[in-house]
Amino acid sequence: MKRFYYEKEMAQKEAFYVPLYKRASAVDVISIGYGLFVVTYLICFYVIAITNTFIKDPMQVDIKNMFLTPSFEHLFGTDFLGRDIFSRIVKATEAFFLPGVIAITVSTAFGLGFGIVSGFYPRYFSRGIFYFLDIIDSFPRVILILIVIILFNPSIYVIMAFVGITSIPKTASYIKTKVELLKEQRFIEACRALGLSKRHIIFKHVIWLYSKSVLIIQATLRMGESVLIETSLSYLGIGVQEPVPSWGNMVAMGKDFFFQGKIWLSTIPAVMILMTIMGLYLLGDGLNSLYNEKVSR
Amino acid sequence: MVRFLKVFMREILNAVLLIIGVTTLLYLIFNIMPGSFIGKGQGFVGYIDIIRRLFTFKFGISPVSGRDIGNLVFPAFRNTLILTIGSIIVSLLISVPIGIFSSYRRFKSYSWTLSIFSYIISSIPVFFLGYLVIYLISRYTAVLPIYYLYEAQRGKPILSYVLPIIVLGIGNDSISEIVRLVGGELERVMSEDYVVASKARGERVLQSSIHEGIIIPIISIIFSKIPFLIGGAVIVEHVFNWPGAGRLAFQATLDRDLPVLVVIAFLSVLFVRAAALIKSMILYYYQTSER
Repeated sequence: MKRFYYEKEMAQKEAFYVPLYKRASAVDVISIGYGLFVVTYLICFYVIAITNTFIKDPMQVDIKNMFLTPSFEHLFGTDFLGRDIFSRIVKATEAFFLPGVIAITVSTAFGLGFGIVSGFYPRYFSRGIFYFLDIIDSFPRVILILIVIILFNPSIYVIMAFVGITSIPKTASYIKTKVELLKEQRFIEACRALGLSKRHIIFKHVIWLYSKSVLIIQATLRMGESVLIETSLSYLGIGVQEPVPSWGNMVAMGKDFFFQGKIWLSTIPAVMILMTIMGLYLLGDGLNSLYNEKVSR
Repeated sequence: MVRFLKVFMREILNAVLLIIGVTTLLYLIFNIMPGSFIGKGQGFVGYIDIIRRLFTFKFGISPVSGRDIGNLVFPAFRNTLILTIGSIIVSLLISVPIGIFSSYRRFKSYSWTLSIFSYIISSIPVFFLGYLVIYLISRYTAVLPIYYLYEAQRGKPILSYVLPIIVLGIGNDSISEIVRLVGGELERVMSEDYVVASKARGERVLQSSIHEGIIIPIISIIFSKIPFLIGGAVIVEHVFNWPGAGRLAFQATLDRDLPVLVVIAFLSVLFVRAAALIKSMILYYYQTSER
């Protein structure tokens, strides 16, 4: 089993193709499988949360039944106001799912645009675009978010749009290197010789056929980062505010009872955060090693 | 040497241009926002005033707390610097051995376990990890202080640095990235033909492969992680009540104290740019000395 850089291989033999199921090693299969499991339960939770079926009311206060340990009735127990933790965890996917998708959309759209423009026309645009992207890049992300919070006092959607803006530079530089690599290849030259329009070359051959994998990988990693940032801000008390559930503020509320031995209040949301972020990172890295880095044969 | 100086000057020019761009962005933001700030509404004159204040490090007085911003910010930045550098070292100490082992002994059972372990510890949310550590340390042992000791009560100041540094080092979600990078690069170098041949002759190839493969990627990833570390420090400083720049920034956000936050942003941009400068100089040095 010998390993190569996929890009190097592509540069040397253009017509080289290994089907995906032959490229995957056992590690890749396991990590992608776990990642797909995480994505599946996130989507299920989100659908349940927006339709409000199958779960108890997450806001329903029930003082008689507070601090119940996990049981069949209450799957993850109840918190300090007697609210069902499982239904709150399901409901809390609303706090990051759509905002995370917004962040991904912003970073992907702008990163793709800037990357392609600066890769295809390096003489005119590359310097200027990357000057502005470097300005964004040199702010620590959390500090920038804090400035935005002071200025506009925004909702979580606006915050996540700014998170998307802060991750434009990374996506743009990936796309730029990809485009620079592809531009010299013979099939693009052949497309040009066949008289295909520039729009067709860019949208079909460069983006759809060759940058799709990069974009999917970046999107999964961005989603993991968005979950992390949303939970961190909600933990600090400047993201989603308390009666509305979020995994971050559930940890923050539960930590007050940590020293009384009631550890499930904050441990269960923290474990959910851990599982979700780990799944998304594993999915991204598994897809990365499947598509980009190496070919095993 | 002349070429080295030339590259150095170019990088410094680049950094200065970026810093000027950052201050322009900040000034534009002030003029959008409601409320008052020094130099607001005065156009270019106000901008020059702001530039002069920021670059001479005379920031003036905070309108909320009434204290001098410079006295507030510089000690805080010193603490954050200690936290950041220590946590980078902790991350490297954990992740580089895991990466080397899991690629050098690729088909052992423990290498897969180790890399999964690196994924797990790097995706623990750092706020929960901090409380878990505080709980375990303060409940079952009393060896380490769980809060920052101020000058008056400081017995052994080093000890109070230990826990936040370890927690930030584990929880800054760069461990899995470094492990994957080191593993991939080492694997690539060690499957080259000349390394395989050298291995077949019975020579030890690990050390030279490490030297060839992973030093440059590690340097570049460490320095590019610095802005994320300052961000992660906000939460760790909140949990451990550590008087650093992150906690100051969070406090300023709660107080709506924009000047302090802007000064912190400016100083951290200086910090990030200096790190980028050092990184590019080190990489340049390595690349020229290899040739």
